[in-house]
Amino acid sequence: MKLAVAPLAAILAALALAALPLLTSSNYIIGIGVSALVFTVAAAALNLIYGFTGLLSFAQLGFWGIGGYATALTVVTFGGSFWLGLVWAALLNAVLALVVGFPTLRTNRHAFVIVTLTFALLVTLIARDWVDLTRGPLGIPNLPAPTAWGYEFATTRQFYWIAWAFAVAMLAFLYALCSSRIGRTLIAIKQNEPLVRAQGIAPMPYKLASFALSAAITGAAGGVYCFYLRIIDPLFLDFYYMQTFLIIVIIGGAGSFWGVVVSGIALSALPEVLRFSADLRMIIYGLILVIAMFVMPSGVAGWLRDRKLVRLREALR
Amino acid sequence: MLGATMTIDTVYLVQLTLNGITLGLIYALIAVGLSLIFGVMEIINFAHGELLMLGAFAMTFALPVVGLLYWPALAAAILATMVIGLVIYELLLVRLKPDEFERSILVTLGLSIILIHVMQYVFTATPRLVDTQYGFEGVEIGSIRITWTRVIGAGAALAAFAGLYTVLRHTQFGRAMRAIAQNREAALMVGIRPLVVARNAVVLAAGLCGLAGAAISPLQLVTPYMGQFLLFKAFALVIIGGLGNIPGAIVAAVALGLVESWIGGFFEIAWQEAAVFVIMIVVLFVRPEGLFKRGGMRVG
Repeated sequence: MKLAVAPLAAILAALALAALPLLTSSNYIIGIGVSALVFTVAAAALNLIYGFTGLLSFAQLGFWGIGGYATALTVVTFGGSFWLGLVWAALLNAVLALVVGFPTLRTNRHAFVIVTLTFALLVTLIARDWVDLTRGPLGIPNLPAPTAWGYEFATTRQFYWIAWAFAVAMLAFLYALCSSRIGRTLIAIKQNEPLVRAQGIAPMPYKLASFALSAAITGAAGGVYCFYLRIIDPLFLDFYYMQTFLIIVIIGGAGSFWGVVVSGIALSALPEVLRFSADLRMIIYGLILVIAMFVMPSGVAGWLRDRKLVRLREALR
Repeated sequence: MLGATMTIDTVYLVQLTLNGITLGLIYALIAVGLSLIFGVMEIINFAHGELLMLGAFAMTFALPVVGLLYWPALAAAILATMVIGLVIYELLLVRLKPDEFERSILVTLGLSIILIHVMQYVFTATPRLVDTQYGFEGVEIGSIRITWTRVIGAGAALAAFAGLYTVLRHTQFGRAMRAIAQNREAALMVGIRPLVVARNAVVLAAGLCGLAGAAISPLQLVTPYMGQFLLFKAFALVIIGGLGNIPGAIVAAVALGLVESWIGGFFEIAWQEAAVFVIMIVVLFVRPEGLFKRGGMRVG
């Protein structure tokens, strides 16, 4: 019985979020809704590689940017549709993740962190300096509104449905993946890789696959987000996005699917509540990160799990 | 006519090479600190670039006080970053255990965000220009010209490496660090206290970083963000040289300084920035453990 609660609550929450444009007429609030949905998907993808597989990847920022640029360029330069752009963004990122992941995962998790970080920075440099392709610091403004069967998703209100459908589809896929045998294998790799090998499972394909999937989903999320902003420039690769995804995962609880989804929706509203100057906001983000790592290193979900274990032990005593 | 262009080219090349060596030595100061901390604590310090930034800022504040005298300001900057390193260690790093690699990154990343934005909030993002007693004066050998600040920066870095080598090789203080890096359990058994050694390593690395920041401050603009990009390069250098390998990091750093300077002299600026990443990926493909094999923390 208890198992059915989470999916049921999730379906109800998804329907409630779908109704947001009917409940408010404020474009500002709907805009926050779009950010919340897209950031939650990107954070859930980071959770797949960091929370489940145990590999801290800073390349998410690069994938997010490449996804945005790939989608924008498909539409503007190559004359494709928005939807085709999303497919390209996902495919390109998956391939790049394999290329970067294969040599790096052969070494150790220390090297993985540093290489993914430098990959993200390299993408930033390319976005700024490869002017022929990306149009440099000016970026690509005035991205056209996506259309489907003659319907144009022109306003923020209409675009919200795209973000909603995208988020629901991606989160459902990630949930199915994480709660399957594959998800359990990933957790096993994080907890004890030698034991996984001893069970006759090769960890490498699992690690590579989760990195590629996480890259593809992050890229598609970046594609959706840049069409919400209607412009893409090198600021799209600001480290601020990576920090936001990380804080969502850490506060929600790395390795907890629902913890990250809930904290994604909740924390996306945080920058709007904390309407201080940008510097003060970043100082608060940094403080949250440092304090969370010491006070509740496994996030709210981990903290709740620990509480439950303590109660169980007391009941058994 | 042909001869004339040839000499100009040689002068240009020598100039680029000398600039590259200076740049490389400053990279090496950062990379060595990272390697030292990794060797002893098995953590990566993301806030290392911010120590450099704080060293450079300390220089901008100390110079007017001591009447633009270079050496006292340099000493003050190194001392300031060592104290900051000590505070960072006692407040945060002491709570991390050796196998908590990801946690160390996230904690120091948070610290780096806080330091950058506090500095930007208090002192604004306006770049600061540092003037010393030497100004833009320099030595001239034929038609090759190098400013004193560059010469002294490179000299101070070399002196620091010589000092570091002596400390690690010939003092009890340094031997304890190498012992912890090579075999933690055995070091514990012979009575070496890991927390004290870790604290010493962090303070020493912070001092080297402060020296780098102070030496670089007359050569480029001082901003709250200056540490970030240098740090990312230092990360790549540490990977190329082999994690925890100090001579490897120094060799990789000087080589990168040269490569960047040469590329910057002949090609577009974008290639200069991208070089380090390309080299790192190639090295990882060819030699996943880095160019120089690591067997504990070696100094010679």
